[in-house]
Amino acid sequence: MTWDNFICLALPAALCWIFAGLAALRDKKPWIVNGLMITGIILFAVFIAGLWIGLERPPLRTMGETRLWYSFFLALIGYLTYRHWKYPWLLLFSAVVASVFIGVNLFKPEIHSKALMPALQSYYFVPHVTVYILSYAMLGVATIASGLQLRNMARGHTDRHLYAFMDNIVYIGFGFLALGMLSGALWAKEAWGHYWSWDPKETWAFITGAAYLVYIHMRLRRAHPKFTLWALPVAFVLLMITWLGVTYLPSAQGSIHVYS
Amino acid sequence: MKQQKRPLWQPPWQYKESALLVCGVLVAGFALQLTLGHFNFFLLHYPANAIAAGGLALLLALCALARKNAVILWLSGIPFCVSLMAALLCFSLVMGLTPQAARVDPHAHNLFSDLGFSMVTASWPFVLLYALTLVSLGLVIMRRLAAFRKKDIGFYCNHLGLWILLLAAGLGATDMQRFVMYVREGEVEWRVYSRNNDVFELPIAVRLHDFSMEEYPPKLVIINRENGKPQPEDRPFYFQIDPKRPTGALGDWTVVLDEYIHEAVRGGDGYKASPMPASTPAARVTVTNTRTGATKTGWVCGGGTIPEFFSGLPLDGELTVVMTQPEPKRFVSDITVLTKEGMKKDARLEVNKPLSLGPWMLYQYGYDNQAGKMSAYSGIELVRDAWLWPAYAGIFLMIAGSVWLIWAGTGKRREDQ
Repeated sequence: MTWDNFICLALPAALCWIFAGLAALRDKKPWIVNGLMITGIILFAVFIAGLWIGLERPPLRTMGETRLWYSFFLALIGYLTYRHWKYPWLLLFSAVVASVFIGVNLFKPEIHSKALMPALQSYYFVPHVTVYILSYAMLGVATIASGLQLRNMARGHTDRHLYAFMDNIVYIGFGFLALGMLSGALWAKEAWGHYWSWDPKETWAFITGAAYLVYIHMRLRRAHPKFTLWALPVAFVLLMITWLGVTYLPSAQGSIHVYS
Repeated sequence: MKQQKRPLWQPPWQYKESALLVCGVLVAGFALQLTLGHFNFFLLHYPANAIAAGGLALLLALCALARKNAVILWLSGIPFCVSLMAALLCFSLVMGLTPQAARVDPHAHNLFSDLGFSMVTASWPFVLLYALTLVSLGLVIMRRLAAFRKKDIGFYCNHLGLWILLLAAGLGATDMQRFVMYVREGEVEWRVYSRNNDVFELPIAVRLHDFSMEEYPPKLVIINRENGKPQPEDRPFYFQIDPKRPTGALGDWTVVLDEYIHEAVRGGDGYKASPMPASTPAARVTVTNTRTGATKTGWVCGGGTIPEFFSGLPLDGELTVVMTQPEPKRFVSDITVLTKEGMKKDARLEVNKPLSLGPWMLYQYGYDNQAGKMSAYSGIELVRDAWLWPAYAGIFLMIAGSVWLIWAGTGKRREDQ
């Protein structure tokens, strides 16, 4: 399977997800929501598996391929957390964001060569990228939750359950983020000779980690609740810079993390 | 009922006092930076760093005895830790947004570099923040260890792991040795270059038996013969050679791959397979213009290191199909390493597959990029980090702590709030 087949599987998957999200929001029967969601996830998984076989390597090298996993895990984890926490908006949000990433790949396809450069040929590669994408999905969801809580705060009543959910998902997302950094450190020692070199991508990963740590620690006390809530959207912007923006920064012109 | 506002510096100290202390330390740091210049890491060479680490551990243990003290509670508390993290975040933002120098430039004089921002990790304010982090983090670990609870195991893993990692990475940084050695095929080498291009002789020698490289099939591209630029200039089309998918397109031209030889030499009218050192990929292709129907067939070859091997396929007066330089798939140095103590080890060095010998780690570093697989030498990096195992201990503790975070989340501790 190649990127040429993408539209045949990804477009139906995106439609399934969005209709599942809408169905959840409209309080439709659970089997409709579950059926649509699972069908979409399976369709998308079939494409990833097919592409993996077609490329003869895990599709984890280029930005286009990274977006593929982002869509997949956003849908999957959005669905699992929806099942656990019963927040319909969460499902719709995950569906929409996952579909946006599909859209980016459809309308701005980066069809890359099959070549995988030697520095990326490592067994750290798949876990390193996968845990990051898991964490991006979690922390993306936490950002939306913080937005909702800020709206609640403006209306004069914060939702205790939403706080509990946000904190939980930030802990889980940060756990994945830390695993990404730590696996990256071990990989860097094997590939580049040192586990931390303050390469621009590493510096930005540090910035992102520090921002989430500020949120996590401030939530342990009740002081400055508004500032604390704003820490999540700010941290997510930093996360996006780490993920997508570093390549374009003047500080990163010599970065060893810029691949394609 | 309106709460009365707590005056500054009236205990218990909170965020304002914490931010003020961090700012005070930063002011002191900037003052030191302006008067002394960058922090001299050579002051921390072994055994100074080991003494500092031991002294810090002892100090923290003593503080644990006075863990109910208000100042110690504050220094190890949330507001102070958050203030420190925010300050570290700001400094790393500077690092992340501006190009950082690898070494001190004695001729650069402007406010930005005088304040240490052109090399943040070696600037006094950053070093002081790092030291303060070790103290604050160390204190909270001591305080919580003194009141040990089994359910805090995740806390211990994450915080102790980070403390050990920070200690080993920071204090150990000066002891780290990194050199590059260039060895020619068939020769033995023990001279290495430092980052500053100084030559050293190491008690370790490397014999290079063979350097070899595998390459991916290259791509085809149409260039303008006048200026050599790939077409169209704003966003060139490339055709990735792949014998499994022999058809494709280059803009208005369809491409059919008739024959591909990965290791070819020129022979007769075309190319023939020959696994010689100088052999290079060659492809016979048929290209057809979708508008005019014009068809061209012929050999295309990048030439590799031998200019006579080059061949393009002219399409018209100005356009020609050419082959890109193949990208490396893997490169391997077949070596024997010898040490003065009489240790001997054979190895095949590859990217991502270093060799560990005694305190040294050897890495495949580079080769002659011009010559590609014909490279007559191999660049090997030698790294020695005496503080690596403590750093690894910290990393593995943090991995355990991260798994705990994912597994347990916040737990149920806020259900009753």
